[in-house]
Amino acid sequence: MGTGKKATGTPIKIGGIDMLIPGVDFTTVGKVAKAYFDCVNDNGGINGHPVKYILYNEQLNPAQEAALARKLVEKDKVVGIVGNTSFAECGTNAKYYASKGFVVLGAGVQAECYSTPSFAETNMGPRYSNIGAAQALIRAGVKKIAIATPDTISAYADGGVVQLGKQKGVEVKVFPTHLPVTDATSQLIQMYQFAGDGNGILIDFTPDTAPAFMKAAIAQGIVNKVKWGSSTPIANTFMAAQFPEFDGHLWINQEFSNVDPSVGPDSALMFAILKKYAPKIAPQAFSQMGYMDGKFATHALLSIKGAVTAASYNAAVKGLKNQKTDMLCKPFYVGSLSYHIPNNWDITVDYKGGNVVVKEKCFPIAPVDNSITQTRKWEKQYHLQG
Amino acid sequence: MSSVLAFSVFGVDWQFIKPFIVIGLAFGGVYALSGVGLVVLYRATGVLNIAFGAIGAAGALIAYWLLNHTGCPEWLAFTVCVAFGGVVNLAYGMVFGPAFARRDPLVKMMGTLGLALILLGIMAWMAPVGGAFARFLPLPSSQHRYAIFGTSVSLTQIISIALALVLTAGVSVFLRVTKLGTAMRALANDREITATLGVPVRRVEAAAWFGSGLACGAAGLILPDLLTSLDYSALTFLVISSLAAALIGRLSSLWWTMIGGLAVGLAQSVISPYASISAYRSAAPFVLAIVALLYLSRRRVVTISRATG
Repeated sequence: MGTGKKATGTPIKIGGIDMLIPGVDFTTVGKVAKAYFDCVNDNGGINGHPVKYILYNEQLNPAQEAALARKLVEKDKVVGIVGNTSFAECGTNAKYYASKGFVVLGAGVQAECYSTPSFAETNMGPRYSNIGAAQALIRAGVKKIAIATPDTISAYADGGVVQLGKQKGVEVKVFPTHLPVTDATSQLIQMYQFAGDGNGILIDFTPDTAPAFMKAAIAQGIVNKVKWGSSTPIANTFMAAQFPEFDGHLWINQEFSNVDPSVGPDSALMFAILKKYAPKIAPQAFSQMGYMDGKFATHALLSIKGAVTAASYNAAVKGLKNQKTDMLCKPFYVGSLSYHIPNNWDITVDYKGGNVVVKEKCFPIAPVDNSITQTRKWEKQYHLQG
Repeated sequence: MSSVLAFSVFGVDWQFIKPFIVIGLAFGGVYALSGVGLVVLYRATGVLNIAFGAIGAAGALIAYWLLNHTGCPEWLAFTVCVAFGGVVNLAYGMVFGPAFARRDPLVKMMGTLGLALILLGIMAWMAPVGGAFARFLPLPSSQHRYAIFGTSVSLTQIISIALALVLTAGVSVFLRVTKLGTAMRALANDREITATLGVPVRRVEAAAWFGSGLACGAAGLILPDLLTSLDYSALTFLVISSLAAALIGRLSSLWWTMIGGLAVGLAQSVISPYASISAYRSAAPFVLAIVALLYLSRRRVVTISRATG
């Protein structure tokens, strides 16, 4: 890699599966991973071999998810799986991937992405991101939090905030939301009526759905009346530019560094790669996930001595330790663990003048359940972060 | 938030219910608007057009595209949205209307389901969800808000309710007073006899297709503003609530359809603050339609005969 010449050898096949349903588009993760591999291929590839990235979309359909995983592994003969993001695919395919010895480098949403050995996600997912946002809101003084999440993941994604509320003496009410959202105004009024002035409303939606709630808040004149928390997906400049009314009123949990090329070399390279290989994709959190998936998969591939096979690639993925990047608070790792939550520190951001600005620097996600506590023990025990 | 609590309705403070009444009436206005359009078309042609929502959604997407990708002024984009409903409805009626004229109502309805699916497919192809961007089609009227009985009401919400009332009254007068309206009523009674009497059936039907299409286009324009997002799948399923309104009007009474539309919108919205039943709000149109149909047909005599041979 780094030769500046196109790779011309036998392609190394890598696959991915991303969910695309009305109201939620996760294909950005896979598309940016592909852009990363395209850049690798234009710069010598993996010891002269280009990466051929095969990306499938699924529509939140378990039968389709299972079929696509088997197609990738058994028909397409991919050596690894990278860039997966879905509401349900982790649960559907965790056992299958484990049976084949695959460890997916992706971006997770549901519980199985963070509780089985088959996945190592570059993000922390909605549960921990919501906890981070709730921590920030509680630090800001709220006594009540109304939280809304897509109903398909609500129990998992909101459960951590409920536990945090119990620990901190903060009343939490969950509003599971069916997508596509058909009456954001009514739901928002319910949330506001629960929270009351000065307290917190936490929304956990992608930029396809969150704007409906934000528009409704502006129309109802309640932007200034509560403190707004959010998980990571709305931490981007195109949302900041669309919603200047929210400047200074947001506590968005950002699982990664701020989306800004000046943050460091990885952030700068991501902007450059997007510009050249995926110009239609705006720099955003999903781009960071895809970028890191591509980067860490490439590191695993480059570490292989000998033939690149499914066995050698997945062994190399498990060998990833202390992967430093300016996109994360702490280094990324995989290791041979029974589950992986390598991303468990994050920052809080806000909107200001069309930009996203840092409101709080890196802080640890509260260990409201045993998973985070155990993860931090493993990090020390196996020196996973150096 | 008001701390002065006047009284409660089934355990929920009246102050909390007021905004839901406004939201419900505004949505109800749109349901009434499209419900009246459905009934007018059904009375004139016998077609229950379940592509109504999809046509409105397609018109709204075209208006969105004109506003965001061309230098088109707002008034023109909004006009195109409404006109699109009329033109597509008219085109469908003129091309497929004659072929379906003698078929069962169910077959006629399934024809419009085909149109809905085609439009949904085109929208999914030309304007896919995702790219992590949401679409909006805000109306300038949303910028104007008024405090009525202590609740914030937007001009769009007022327009929605007023338009339903004006359209219902206007169409009722039109059907009674004008020659074309009389011809439409005659068609509703008996197409064959009306044709024998020299009424230009196809021209009258064309007027019904076009007019109801305009109502559909208007609904497609207002609804994204009320929904605070332009989601074509949500708009397409607007037809469910409108159908409930039309059924409450027994597919014949414009005023009952309007009342039905408002009732459906109100019922869906007002149950929102009641945690124990709010999950069932999407069932409100069906429940209301069933209750209305049972009530309205309570004195109907059903004769069952059996052929002997």
